[in-house]
Amino acid sequence: MKKLYLVKLLFVLLFFMKGIQADAQGFTASGTVKESVTGNPLTGVSITIKGTKQVTTSDASGNFSIKVNSKSAVLILKYVGFKTVEVSLSADKPAASFNMEEEVSSLKEVVITGLASSIKRSNLANAVTSVSAKDLTGTTQIQTADGALYGKVSGANIRMNSGAPGGGINIQLRGLSSLTQASSPLIVLDGVYINNSFQRTGRASVTGAGAANQDDGSNRLADINPADIENIEVLKGPSAAAIYGTRANAGVLVITTKKGAAGKTTISFGQDIGIGSPLKMMGVDNWSEAKINSFFPVARRPLELSRFQSAVAANNFVNYEDYFYGNTASLMNSRLSIRGGDEKTKFFVSGSLTDEGGIVRRTGFERQSIRANIEHKLSKDIVLTVNSNYIRTNTDRGFTGNQNNSGASIGYNIAYVPNYFDLRPVNGVYPANPYFAENPVAVTDNAVNNSLVNRFIQSFGLDINLFKNEKSQLKFKMNGGLDYVQNSSQIYLPDDLQFQRGQANPGDVLVGRQESMNTNFQAAFAYDWQVKRVNMSTQVGLVRLDFKNNGLFNRGRGLAPGQTNIKQATVQEVESEFTSTQSDVGIFVQQQMNFEDKIIGTVGMRWDKSNTNGNANQFYAFPKASLAINLTNFDFWKINAISQFKPRIAYGQTAGPVPFGATFTSLGGVNIGGLLGSTVATSVGNLNILPERASEIEFGLDAGLFNNRIMFEATYYVKTTKNNLQPLTLSPATGVVSTTSNEAEMRNKGIELGLSGTIIQKSNFRWFSRLLWWKNDVLITKLGIPSYTTGAFGAGLGTFLIQQGVAPTTIVGTPATSPGVFTVWGNAQPDWTTSWSNNITFLKNFDLSILTEYRSGGDNINLTSFLTDGGGTTKGWFDDDNKDGIPNGRQRAPAPFNNAGRWVQDATFLKIREVGLYYTLPKETLSKTFGNIIQRARIGVSGNNVFLATKYVGYDPETSTFGAQALANNVDVAPYPSSRRLFFHLQIDF
Amino acid sequence: MKKLKILMISGITALFFGCNPLEVKELTDPNNPSEASVSNNASRRQIQFLVTGLEQRHKGYVTNICQAWNTFGREIWYLNASDPRFQTDWLGQAGRVPDAAYFGFGATGGGSYATPYQAIKQGLVLIDAANNSGALTAQEKRAVAGFSKTIMAYQYLIPANWLYENGIRTDIKDPLKPGPVRSYTASLGFIDSLLSAGYEDLNNAGSVFPFTLTAGFNGFNNIDGLKRLNKAITARVAIYRKDWQGALNALGLSFMNLTGSLTAGPAHTFGAPPDGFNPMFYVLDANINTIVVVHPSVLADATPGDARVASKFHQRAVPVTVTTDATPLVGTHQDKRWSTNMAPMPFIKNEELILIKAEAHAQLNQTADAVSAINIIRTAATIGNYGGATTQAALINEILYQRRYSLWAEPWGHRWIDARRYDRLNTIPTSFDQGTIFRQFPRPQAEINWDLYAGG
Repeated sequence: MKKLYLVKLLFVLLFFMKGIQADAQGFTASGTVKESVTGNPLTGVSITIKGTKQVTTSDASGNFSIKVNSKSAVLILKYVGFKTVEVSLSADKPAASFNMEEEVSSLKEVVITGLASSIKRSNLANAVTSVSAKDLTGTTQIQTADGALYGKVSGANIRMNSGAPGGGINIQLRGLSSLTQASSPLIVLDGVYINNSFQRTGRASVTGAGAANQDDGSNRLADINPADIENIEVLKGPSAAAIYGTRANAGVLVITTKKGAAGKTTISFGQDIGIGSPLKMMGVDNWSEAKINSFFPVARRPLELSRFQSAVAANNFVNYEDYFYGNTASLMNSRLSIRGGDEKTKFFVSGSLTDEGGIVRRTGFERQSIRANIEHKLSKDIVLTVNSNYIRTNTDRGFTGNQNNSGASIGYNIAYVPNYFDLRPVNGVYPANPYFAENPVAVTDNAVNNSLVNRFIQSFGLDINLFKNEKSQLKFKMNGGLDYVQNSSQIYLPDDLQFQRGQANPGDVLVGRQESMNTNFQAAFAYDWQVKRVNMSTQVGLVRLDFKNNGLFNRGRGLAPGQTNIKQATVQEVESEFTSTQSDVGIFVQQQMNFEDKIIGTVGMRWDKSNTNGNANQFYAFPKASLAINLTNFDFWKINAISQFKPRIAYGQTAGPVPFGATFTSLGGVNIGGLLGSTVATSVGNLNILPERASEIEFGLDAGLFNNRIMFEATYYVKTTKNNLQPLTLSPATGVVSTTSNEAEMRNKGIELGLSGTIIQKSNFRWFSRLLWWKNDVLITKLGIPSYTTGAFGAGLGTFLIQQGVAPTTIVGTPATSPGVFTVWGNAQPDWTTSWSNNITFLKNFDLSILTEYRSGGDNINLTSFLTDGGGTTKGWFDDDNKDGIPNGRQRAPAPFNNAGRWVQDATFLKIREVGLYYTLPKETLSKTFGNIIQRARIGVSGNNVFLATKYVGYDPETSTFGAQALANNVDVAPYPSSRRLFFHLQIDF
Repeated sequence: MKKLKILMISGITALFFGCNPLEVKELTDPNNPSEASVSNNASRRQIQFLVTGLEQRHKGYVTNICQAWNTFGREIWYLNASDPRFQTDWLGQAGRVPDAAYFGFGATGGGSYATPYQAIKQGLVLIDAANNSGALTAQEKRAVAGFSKTIMAYQYLIPANWLYENGIRTDIKDPLKPGPVRSYTASLGFIDSLLSAGYEDLNNAGSVFPFTLTAGFNGFNNIDGLKRLNKAITARVAIYRKDWQGALNALGLSFMNLTGSLTAGPAHTFGAPPDGFNPMFYVLDANINTIVVVHPSVLADATPGDARVASKFHQRAVPVTVTTDATPLVGTHQDKRWSTNMAPMPFIKNEELILIKAEAHAQLNQTADAVSAINIIRTAATIGNYGGATTQAALINEILYQRRYSLWAEPWGHRWIDARRYDRLNTIPTSFDQGTIFRQFPRPQAEINWDLYAGG
């Protein structure tokens, strides 16, 4: 430490001496920096003097001054998102005012391509999408970062599982990489491999729905405050993500959070106030005496008729959809961030509070997040980065979706309740529901489905310049971190509920405690050198990941009234305990060659091993190679209108990990009659199991017109996967059901197109527009095992056909065309998707942004309508289209009626994802009122999911009762309806 | 400057070599013991755990058989408002008939196929573990084998009766090379010989069963008791094989007792967690819509004053109505055999053995013996002695009728199997639900697929 102090002292002395020199023979350059369209001052622009290390930043009014040691100097002005400006100033003309133009083409932005390297976008050989903070959260407030990616990433199929508050989103990049795993991308946040799992809540167990994938839980990316994110880079497939090796089969999201900046400390405060309301209702059916006589069995009719007649007399009909889902959610968000620093230390500190309710009573999402990102130069050559983030997320997602017997799902339940029966409490007493096992009003008012997450994410980085001369430079980079997630969940159905009263032990509570700890570590050497006119960049390094998970769930049944402590239960049960660990190790080398920004080539290799593989010590190799040619940088290029023309090609391989436990042949623990038993497991471990492997080749063309004012990007890819994991079902007569096999192979082919540009650029009006279009086709090229159907609720209600030569997203079902062969009814995969984004700046201070997404094709299995048909509540149930005397609700086309095909429905939709209008208060107005305290103030209104157009009958064409998974992620079972969210925003910078 | 750099780099290097970052630990299951841990020289405790594991697997079929097979034979309706397919598919409404991956059974056959085979597999692993253990005497090994084979034989009957003429595999020792599919007749022959082999083992096992069984086996948890159980199951198999004299021979060595309690017999044990609750228990008059109800034909056909009706059926205060997209169903009575959700469930009982005796005598035209066995049952049911015709056909009618009430909704689906044995499936009424009576199930899809995989 003493040494360090001396070093610091030395620096101070050096600066001091330089200062004295400057006074002797230089001048002071100064100026004002403004945004070219609005004329607003730009704060925090970095101004350097070319050829020196002197630097300053512009203040809140855009003013700066810097001492120059010579008679004239070239000043370089840089600002993130703006084109760099270079201007000469001299002692004769020491001051100027500068206008900076927003950089639309973003060609100069730096894209992280390797584990220890980055590359200019203009030299990139892959279609890597970068989503900036402005793109991500600049228009409206979206609860989770993944939800903010809709329509911004070509090639991404993003699906929201339900409208419940607090996330629950899956992203599939470039189709399916696995038949059994979720095909969701790896997420690396500031170098930490973070947990994005859907952790169990136990709702599906307590309500009888089934396994944890029917919990409708959140994915843990929901914990990250989207406003902290500076940038998300989307590596869509193996060709771009090869260097990440195992776990990168489904692509990688590289998330970088905001950093400090040298200069005046900026304090920003933002506040959103909003409301949420249902986006779409399905509608309910009215009843008549004729319908009652048709619907109910003879014995039941007199009772139903008298109920109906008394409702008519009192004019008391209840629209249960409105009653449960028609509430207004209050949405509040507050954000405070402080950003600043000096030459040595930069910091970004932020805190945010989210408190958003849901459209169902007693549901909501709260998130408190604090973050400190600190970068410190230990010395000239050593930079230490430490990012710390603590988050507390508290989510109440209510009771919707699938259930069995318990009646604890609003939508499932009210599918069976006619509108002439009133379920609402009278003097605090909930009437028994004669149409289903439970009164859903009582569940909504009194049951609990809560998940409370405490999370700590810590990353560190250490960059050391080991050696540097004119032609070469050697750097050592080390980084890593940890992600600790603790999730306390509680599902509680009180003892006085109707269904509970009908149980031997009324009252049910399931208390979960889950902990996960991800740690990762990476060290690399990066060597930049030159061979004649070729810049070489070499890196070698190693990576290690360790994941630990454990969960303990305890259940109590037969509860004392109002009590939730398991000790107050008649039957106390360790419902489950589970521990898993996993370690991956990788080694990588990469060589990048850049010939004068004209030809850029990269080759690389990664070797990985993991202890979940059959052979824990076997390294698997994943090569990559890419080439980009910037034709416009060659001398022969004469077409001035075309400012960039870059054909590119890239190839790479990655893996999907073997899930924990695939190698085990275990004895299960069971208890009977007070004795402990060991039972032979029904799955046999496969000691030869291999990771899934994907290879991708990607061709593309990037072109820029008119000085890159219009950009065009086209990509075609073929991603093939092999060794795909799938259960090989053994003869069940052998007493074991399955073993994991490696035989399947798939192919995804797709096209991604992007066209963007500034259509109008005038002093008072700027219109930027971006159009994206993409499609993906998936096919099973080899199955290796006999064809089978899987997923959803079986052939009678629509399931998925896994067969060589067909897409695994193929929906089949009854009737069988021959034994074991079912009718093909649809395909879950969208035909194509397009998004259109527009940003318009007008009257100097107004910004208008609109983002629209259209998804064409893709079928859902709509079992919500199946339920309402069973309960006679589907809108139009009693109509009789074919006039045969059988109501539509009992006879759904196509004939022969009531086959699986009846609920396979086209889920094409158009959504206005984001719309925002903002007004930035003019600087003069602010100064007049507040002096110099407030640097910038912005107000606005915005909306998220403001509009939906679809022929689909359900609440939202995006829905998945089985959560995030490769297949059957399009099944609609009485979900939590989606909301339309409208906000008022205030943003003040001090 | 330099020193700081050197210090950091040497520190990092030390870290690398201190704990090799390229080393990963071999994974062993942190949650369960491995199957390999019992395959060689298992301890007595480990064998005990496997014995208890077999008891657990032995009751695995109960829920599925109780709900489904008793529905097929229209002893009950399993009303389930949450999933209409328990009605529409299981009752064969709108002409539905079972396919290879039918609802409630899936591609593996579920509780009617995969589950009983898991019990058989457990038995095989247990016999091997006992034989390879140095902790057991030769006699003890025979005891374990005899118990295992008896239970395995019982379990083989389940897939055999489910697939019936489609046949089952009997040789399942090698999971990757299962034996051929054998006809129903051949399978029953195999089961009979498995029972004989088990009996032979028990004959050489001394008198004490060396491991603990649950209270469900009270009265049968010694070698003599297990032998009597073995012979009771043999008698059940015998009538399926139409080996009437064999049935009588087996009954003689079974626990049949013409003057004893009709309900005597071994049972599946249930209890609070970590055990499982009795799946057939429902709170009387519970205001729920997932419940087993008595089939209307059982109520309609009952003899006035039958004590079995009074003791087994409870008339609900409010009937249960379930609407689907097919015929709505109304259940007026529920099952009241179970006093609590922890009540044990007999899987073969004295009453059945006496009815087997009656049937065997009737088939052998030993009319007086048949009638006297029938009268034991009728007397217990307080409906008086049999006064009808004593032709063989009349006696078989009477015996099948008594079996409907004596063995109502047992975890076996007796009526479905009985009606099929006597080719009377068309006497099972479908007028209450407009459904179809199934004869048997096709081989499960997973079996067909395995043959494709192994063959091609």
